Amino acid sequence: MWEKLANIDRRWLYALMIFVIALALIKPIGLAIVPSADTQKVYDIVEQLPPGSIVWMGMEFSAGGIPELMPAILSMIRQGWKDGRDLRFVCAGMWQMAGDMAEQAFSTVKAEFPDKEYGVDWVNIGYKPGGEVLLQQYQNSIIETAQGVDFYGNDLNTLPLMKEFTSLKQAKLVAIFCTGTPGEKEYIKHVTSPNNIPLIEAAISVSIPECMPLVQAGQIKGLVAGMKGAAEYEVLVGAPGSATAGMDAQSFSHALIIVFMILGNIGYVLTKNKKQAS
Amino acid sequence: MKKELPVAITLILAILYVLANYFTGVAFLDTAKNLLDRWYLIVAAWAVLVGSINLTQIHGRRISGKREGWIFSVWLLICLYGMMFFGIFVAKNASHPGWTFMYNQLIAPMNATVYSTIVFYIGSAAYRAFRVRSPEASVLLVTALIMMLGRVPLGRMLLGGHPALSQMADWILNVPNSAGMRGIQIGACLGGVATALRIALGIERGHLGGTGE
Repeated sequence: MWEKLANIDRRWLYALMIFVIALALIKPIGLAIVPSADTQKVYDIVEQLPPGSIVWMGMEFSAGGIPELMPAILSMIRQGWKDGRDLRFVCAGMWQMAGDMAEQAFSTVKAEFPDKEYGVDWVNIGYKPGGEVLLQQYQNSIIETAQGVDFYGNDLNTLPLMKEFTSLKQAKLVAIFCTGTPGEKEYIKHVTSPNNIPLIEAAISVSIPECMPLVQAGQIKGLVAGMKGAAEYEVLVGAPGSATAGMDAQSFSHALIIVFMILGNIGYVLTKNKKQAS
Repeated sequence: MKKELPVAITLILAILYVLANYFTGVAFLDTAKNLLDRWYLIVAAWAVLVGSINLTQIHGRRISGKREGWIFSVWLLICLYGMMFFGIFVAKNASHPGWTFMYNQLIAPMNATVYSTIVFYIGSAAYRAFRVRSPEASVLLVTALIMMLGRVPLGRMLLGGHPALSQMADWILNVPNSAGMRGIQIGACLGGVATALRIALGIERGHLGGTGE
């Protein structure tokens, strides 16, 4: 019996995982989400920006990062636009889906802020090839580096925001949303450290260990850590969304994995003892 | 000259670029750096085309040789060229409804689905790998338990609202993890510098299509 406990067919594990996650999503119990110090720091940094400040949003992720990063983006846009704060956002990225991610975010939020106008309050430059060299060239001339067009094919010279925001160095804050490389290290190397621009980041959970030395060194001023951080950010902004809804599912899936680990170890220890005894 | 000329070009441009990064404000170096950056952007854009041709060659060979799974190669090429031609000749920009449909209904869900399957592998791997086989494995097991409970609201709920588990998880991230990560990143950077020097000095010639030294 103990051998069976140590060697459960993985299809049972998969089935249980699907069941637990689906149940948590269909019938959430609403576990309390308490904002952490890291997320609070990100919120405070955005909150302290003067009204009308221009924020560079680096969309350095693909569709796989949406569940963890999109809620943080939506929260940041809401925080920047509510209560007359009127922050302005310029979105771009070194990843191929940068433009699509920005489009998805702003098309979701703009219905809540009907007075906000494309080209005045936000611009979506989208993806341009070139990796970190792109970041260097954006500091010389954004319009020239972007070949003069935004994600939708509009002439950047006709957009009021881009007449004012001609270089990445003019950003008051760089906010990046990353799932890998190129990512925060490229921004730190080429943009934020040389120009002393504060950098905040929302990263997926698996990237958090890698980001911690940069946070401790002060190169990343604030970090929204994975879906939990995004849920905390939603709580701080006062607009619970998909991250908050997903925390129950994440909590119970973690609990299930822990149960698997405990069962596996019980089976392993008792099987080992039995073999030693015999 | 076939090997020497590219090596010489690499060496000269590498020295130029490094000097331009360390000596800012020198007009000649700034101009050279900007020029090299623009060339890089152009080459990077062309790399997409080169990648597409390479993919076509690889999968074309699979199809013509009817190797195992060749039908998937057919599907890959249909998707690759289908989206390419649609984007260039039909949609022409990202706000086209057809392009938006393909992104929202195909690319994003499929991309997310691939990442979503990871949870099953992690669950199965955690069940099999986190066993108390040795003291080191036991430390790994306990650390994993603390991190998994400390990074979700469930951990706080289990302790009646006390943040002990999340504080322990934060300590693990901030102290032992950061120490290890710093070592890894310093090592990776030193390795990167060594590799860059080898390429610049022509010792490493793999990118030229030949073998090393």
